[in-house]
Amino acid sequence: MRLLNYSEKHEEIRPATHSQNHISHLHDLTKFLHKIIDGICGRTQPRYQDYGSLWNMTEWLEVLEELAVLFKTMVGQNMSEDETLKQLDGLNLSHQQAILKCLKGRKEEIRHSLVEKSSAMSSAHLQDFDWQLKLALSSDKISMLQMPLVNLDLDVRENDKIKSVSIEMNKEELQNLINSLESANKVVLQLK
Amino acid sequence: MEEADRILIRSLRLFGVELPEELQSLREFSTEMIVEAVVRCLHVIDPSLVSGISHMLPPGMSARFRIGMSLAQACQDLGFQGEVGYQTFLYSSEPDIRQLLMFLVEKLPRDSSEDTDQPIGKSGALQRAIAAKIREQLSLPWMPPSCRTARLQRMQGCCLMRHFHTQRLVLPEKCPFASDTVSSDVRDFYEKYLPTVTAQVSRRAQLAASLLERSLADVSGVQEREAEWKSQGLASRLSYEEYWQRKHQRLQKRVQEQLRQCSQRPTGSQFSAGASEDLMDTLSRSRQEQGKGSRSTPTERFTFKPELASSAGLMAVAVESLPSSRKLDQDNRTQQEEEVTSLQQQLEQLSVQIEEAGAEVKKLNLGLMQVEDGRKQSELHLAEKEDVMKVKRQTVALLSDAENNLSKLQLVVESSTKRIVHLASQWEKHRVPLVEQYRELKKLHQSRELESSRRLSDIKEIHEQIRAAAEEAKCKELLYKQLLTDHENLPKDVSRAAYTQRILEIVGNIKKQKEEITKILSDTKELQKEINNLTGKLDRTFAVTDELVYKDAKRDEAVRKAYKYLAALHENCSQLIETIEDTGTIMRGIRDLEEQIETEAGKRTLSNLEKILEDYKCIKQENMTLLSRIREG
Repeated sequence: MRLLNYSEKHEEIRPATHSQNHISHLHDLTKFLHKIIDGICGRTQPRYQDYGSLWNMTEWLEVLEELAVLFKTMVGQNMSEDETLKQLDGLNLSHQQAILKCLKGRKEEIRHSLVEKSSAMSSAHLQDFDWQLKLALSSDKISMLQMPLVNLDLDVRENDKIKSVSIEMNKEELQNLINSLESANKVVLQLK
Repeated sequence: MEEADRILIRSLRLFGVELPEELQSLREFSTEMIVEAVVRCLHVIDPSLVSGISHMLPPGMSARFRIGMSLAQACQDLGFQGEVGYQTFLYSSEPDIRQLLMFLVEKLPRDSSEDTDQPIGKSGALQRAIAAKIREQLSLPWMPPSCRTARLQRMQGCCLMRHFHTQRLVLPEKCPFASDTVSSDVRDFYEKYLPTVTAQVSRRAQLAASLLERSLADVSGVQEREAEWKSQGLASRLSYEEYWQRKHQRLQKRVQEQLRQCSQRPTGSQFSAGASEDLMDTLSRSRQEQGKGSRSTPTERFTFKPELASSAGLMAVAVESLPSSRKLDQDNRTQQEEEVTSLQQQLEQLSVQIEEAGAEVKKLNLGLMQVEDGRKQSELHLAEKEDVMKVKRQTVALLSDAENNLSKLQLVVESSTKRIVHLASQWEKHRVPLVEQYRELKKLHQSRELESSRRLSDIKEIHEQIRAAAEEAKCKELLYKQLLTDHENLPKDVSRAAYTQRILEIVGNIKKQKEEITKILSDTKELQKEINNLTGKLDRTFAVTDELVYKDAKRDEAVRKAYKYLAALHENCSQLIETIEDTGTIMRGIRDLEEQIETEAGKRTLSNLEKILEDYKCIKQENMTLLSRIREG
């Protein structure tokens, strides 16, 4: 129900500002929708500065939230075209078509990101990693050491917060880690 | 000798001997240079041989002498055949030194030069470059940040150290799971709204990382797929797409099974969290309802309706009675409470009644089902009995004209048996070729199976070969590039072509000389033969003449004189020949001696002698000082 409310509001505001040029208005709408989908897929969301003239802050947040939920439910429940149109009831036809078009174009992408998110629902998962190779020249006991050390940084996402875990390993430890990761990869390959 | 010396000097320079640029031949070597060269060479050949020897000559004479002795010992340990002692180094002669240095240079390990011939590959080259870079950085001192120049800042600062953060990039591509062609909506998105990759990342620094990650993921995905297809996919004898479809299906089935197992587990044992418990509860309840629903709900609804109606009627009565009893609040309240309790009791009674009725209904339903079953069974019985009755009625009808009917029946039976036999023979006729065909086809199938498995192994082999060939080609290409760069890096001052040309010239000269020597040898042989011939002839003629003259000499005085002259002539001639031979040997001796003189002159004997004398004086002086010091002490 809230969704419908929002959609109507959206409908009201849009034509009020851009009614004189229907085509560019539709283009802008599509662009805006794509940006919201970008946000769902983990990229930059649309910025408030660009749309500040249309909505105030609370409205803006509501708009973002509602549209994201709309797209997510449409893809997540794998709605057919008719069902989707039923959800959008109350908007005029061109807007319905625009939303439908966006949805069709980005369906796979949204689905992919949703699947990724739900598969990463365990308490912590690896987001990214980085490594540096360092050459230890000496230690507190040996003046000429020259031992290569690898510094592995793991960005672990835990409860929507990114925590950095840093590990320093020598050659053997790194080999061990690589071996265990390779065996894990073999198991993953069987599931691909 | 100039060429040989140049080669020697070049190889010595390669092994780190510091020699002046203008040096051209071994003659110009000083004692210090010789000692340094020998020590460096020995160090490269076997470091343990010259463990305590410095390559710089000490000033003290006795120390120099000791160094010379130990160097000579080391050379002999290495297996140097020629004569070597302290004098070889301290009072050098050119040929000795040349011989020694040539021996040492030949002994030098070749592996360093062979190393460059081996392909070191891309990773090897990279490692070498990294090592060089690290060495360069280690050689520089660390500077505090404020004192760094721009170059040092780049090298020692942390401006180049950025974290490797990636973002997923969206590129226009065909979706692997969807249909083959890109739908128009997707195309529209790609054409009009998809930002470029540079605009997709939120920070510029992430662009390179994201691109690298993306391409790496693509490449490794393809590679792993290929590897699996080659190892397992080929063996399964399915086409590429079928194999992956099959695998996908298998996986899905497995996942579904897992999910089902999880949902069937008893609640509470595995899921401690309240939310999931609720979820499980609702799940199980809905399942039960679904199982029951179809049968029980209509009847229940049917039975509940009147009860509901009656309770509604009761409520209406209560509502009507409410306004009339408004005399005392207390009474009212107590009355109301009583009513409430009574109503509740009624409600409870009703619900009990409902439950009872439900149980009754269930029981009745069960009874109904049993009765239904009984009815079906009796219907079946009836049908059977009707069948039996039909047969019996027919037989009874036939019984009236028994004989005729019997014979008819027999006829029918006979004809049907005949027909059966006929059909059997016909069937046999058809069956035999069919069976044969079946066998043939089976055989064919087997052979095809064999063939296909053979082909499969062939294909696998070919795959292996292709991979091996590709790797080999890559290796060769790398080697080629490596060698090209090596070739470019090689020092241009010593041209290989010149060397080979020179060697070829020398070989040609040697051949020519050999020919001349053989010619001279054959000449000498011929000459010897002639000489032998002539001496033989002379001897024989002399003997004959001698005899003839001697015969006549007894009779004639003049002849006797002639005989004497002959003898004298012969003697003189032989003496002459002897003298000539002696002259030849003496001449040869003279030449030998002259050569010896030359070689001795080459050994710089005089200057060496002077040096030795000086050194002798030095040693004497050192000894004197040592003695005096001892006395002082």
